[in-house]
Amino acid sequence: MLEHHPDLTASVIYGLGWLYLLLFLMNCAWVWRSYHQDGEVKLFGQGVPVASIWALYAAMLGMISTAHLTGSNNPQMFLLRMPDAFKSAVDSLSGPVSFFSLSVGLFVAVILLREWIVKPTVGWVLLNASLIFLALSMTDYDFRQIVGKPDNVPIVAMLFICAYFTWLSFACAVENDKRKAAGKPLYSQEKNDKILVWPDLVYSELICMVLVTALLVAWGIVLQAPLEEPASSAKTPNPSKAPWYFLGLQEMLVYYDPWMAGVVLPSMILVGLMAIPYIDFNKLGNGYYTFNERKFAISTFLFGFLPLWVAMIVLGTFLRGPNWNFFGPYEYWDVHKLELLNNVNISEWFWYKVMNTKMPVAPAGSDQATQIGYILLREWLGLVITVAYLAVLPPLMAVTVFRKFFVRMGFLRFMVLSNLILFMASLPIKMVLRWSFNLKYIVAIPEWFFNI
Amino acid sequence: MLIIIGVCIWGALLSPFAMAWTALAGVTGIATLGTARFMFPNVLVEPPSKFKIGPASDYPLNAVSNKWKDQFGVWIVHTDQYEGKDLIYALSTVCTHLGCTPSWLDGEQKFKCPCHGSGFYITGVNFEGPAPRPLERVGLRIAEDGMLEVDKSMKFQEEMGQWVDATSFVDGSLA
Amino acid sequence: MSVGDYIRGSQIWKSIFRHPAPVDRRNRVVVMLTNFFLHLHPVSIKQQGIALSYTWCMGGITFFLFLVETITGVLLMFYYRPTLQFAFNDILALRDVTTLGIMREIHRWAAHAMVITVWLHMYRVFLTGSYKPPREFNWVIGVLLLVLTLLLSFTGYLLPWDQLAIWAITVGSNMARATPFLGYEGPGAQLLNIGGFDLITNGSDARFLLLGGRFVGEATLNRFYILHCVAIPLVVALLIAIHFWRVRKDGGISQPL
Repeated sequence: MLEHHPDLTASVIYGLGWLYLLLFLMNCAWVWRSYHQDGEVKLFGQGVPVASIWALYAAMLGMISTAHLTGSNNPQMFLLRMPDAFKSAVDSLSGPVSFFSLSVGLFVAVILLREWIVKPTVGWVLLNASLIFLALSMTDYDFRQIVGKPDNVPIVAMLFICAYFTWLSFACAVENDKRKAAGKPLYSQEKNDKILVWPDLVYSELICMVLVTALLVAWGIVLQAPLEEPASSAKTPNPSKAPWYFLGLQEMLVYYDPWMAGVVLPSMILVGLMAIPYIDFNKLGNGYYTFNERKFAISTFLFGFLPLWVAMIVLGTFLRGPNWNFFGPYEYWDVHKLELLNNVNISEWFWYKVMNTKMPVAPAGSDQATQIGYILLREWLGLVITVAYLAVLPPLMAVTVFRKFFVRMGFLRFMVLSNLILFMASLPIKMVLRWSFNLKYIVAIPEWFFNI
Repeated sequence: MLIIIGVCIWGALLSPFAMAWTALAGVTGIATLGTARFMFPNVLVEPPSKFKIGPASDYPLNAVSNKWKDQFGVWIVHTDQYEGKDLIYALSTVCTHLGCTPSWLDGEQKFKCPCHGSGFYITGVNFEGPAPRPLERVGLRIAEDGMLEVDKSMKFQEEMGQWVDATSFVDGSLA
Repeated sequence: MSVGDYIRGSQIWKSIFRHPAPVDRRNRVVVMLTNFFLHLHPVSIKQQGIALSYTWCMGGITFFLFLVETITGVLLMFYYRPTLQFAFNDILALRDVTTLGIMREIHRWAAHAMVITVWLHMYRVFLTGSYKPPREFNWVIGVLLLVLTLLLSFTGYLLPWDQLAIWAITVGSNMARATPFLGYEGPGAQLLNIGGFDLITNGSDARFLLLGGRFVGEATLNRFYILHCVAIPLVVALLIAIHFWRVRKDGGISQPL
């Protein structure tokens, strides 16, 4: 049977061969490292060097790579591909809810298990696992279509780079925290000699510039910058997406109206970022990596950056298809996929379900004051909730969970901090409300373009 | 008048130094506003807002015409589904969510926006997706020569109760 | 006497470099003090201040990418005309007709990379607590530079004038329409009227200012071109200068107190 969209083609297999070859070479280096650093494990009552297990794995990768590079003449018969059962399981399990839960779960796991994750072997296993997952997933046509788009390649790279640097910072932080706990000076304080900028820094900068230039030229040759059809204001492409770095904001548009998702929340993000140095009263952790001394600051920032920014970009780029519907990573982007989008407002729920009446509507021809009164009456519950959220919660937080903060920060700093946190929390809160109660708007006043 | 008197009193209370600074701040403020105004163009090279679209008989009942969508950004709709009245009206092709251009799906009898999945009935009223309110009508009237004339400089929003305005539709029985 | 020695002994060479080659300690100090391009740096620095595991080198890479964008951008400007008639075809020609047709590729990929490196630089500065006193204000400048980097990338997105470009900008700029008070579909805009005359209409709101028209058209293309090539880069260059200057003035690269 001829497949129109083949999962595997000769060129894909060949490309994957190079990826496995790279992985093989990386693991050869790792075997060498392991031979010198890792000890032995007891296997079947015998001492076996850990390096031998890695050597076995590397040899396997070498063989897989050879198979890919030489055996690409009949793609249909090629066996190494992502199993269909796994693909359909992932597709059926994935959705905005599970995706967001997974990213928050990962975030919590990284923080709780940091001392375990920063071990080099654990980091290496995670890197290998993610690369092999990526390689196997590339054998799926739909996955390849999205991930392989030239504009999306930097996002894949960014994921690995972000993960690596998060790992690296935690490695440094854990090391520093251990030294502090033992009363020893920080690693960086031991390495405190003054050196001359010429040649050490100047030459590292030069090498860095050469490497970056080489990377850019290679990237420019391999991947062509995208250019679609000439612009037409009548034909909206489906889906039409903002530039990739704004896709986190575009994802917020699912839950909030443009004035919130596009103007208020981004402004709050920027104001919040600028406010950080002025509301962080903690004098510790200035100029070195640490986690234990800045638990709250680092956890909050990581939560904002990883699940709420990077993960949202991934969701918006890879998993949102036509009509901004959610699609699993191996799912075909079907334009006609139907998704029920009938959501209700709090006011509708209150008047129809609780009071069992109609919505209050101002009588026709009434004056402006009456109309305003009726609108406020209609939306009173949502308005009360919103005002309470922004006005009652901060003092409540000041006397309960954030009592120590409040005492140390003073009134103004605390109000700024608590409001920033409330705005940051408003996104996940609205997401959960949407998923669990199909809530559309907390306050719905389309007459004034005022929907929350 | 009161303002001028207030400024005079205030000026009398100020030292010359403070007055000079106030004057400088005032002039700078006006210059900034003027520069901001400079950035708003006065002449636009855009399609005319008023245009003729032929006789009402060109638009059969319960059909959406895509004829003027590309050029002028309006659908001409003739339907009796809005409050049971037989009307012809012009809907703006701008989605009320984020301004993408929805498509009229004849099979499903709805306008569907490709950007975020908002759906609208043939009447223009929203029923699914993130769009917060119905599509907007633009002005429509029968010109002196008997042709229909769209006026895009006027807009009518359902949720503001503006669809009862007589310039927002034409009696469909003329078709 | 070798040719090299002859050149280094000549009046021209000596008028440019006023000291011998930086091979000994004294001249390595002198070169940092006398060279305009190097004087951004201090003369000496603590070892950990240049440790890659500490700095990740992301700020430096960002600056270098800005230079790459400037150079490739200027080269692209020689062939690109920001009008509805020519824009798309000029981009096409830059790929298919021009010699060395990867200039636009390098420009675009470096732009993507710059967004990522700015984020990572910020990430590193946060995680090392380097925004803490006395570096608070430099962090604020850094946030401004982040915004401008995103705006640079956003304005550049429109210039190819293909479907990807105009719809990304349409979706993006439509949010300006919903700006509270200043957008004609924003909450509160209806309050701004004088005697029944609306001050904020679709011909006078924030989006109109951004686009120079009621929809994304030729005026917008021109506006974004100017912003992308002239206005924003000038501001960025100024802020970068302040940013670097303050790194030095606020005590050099951060380190444990």
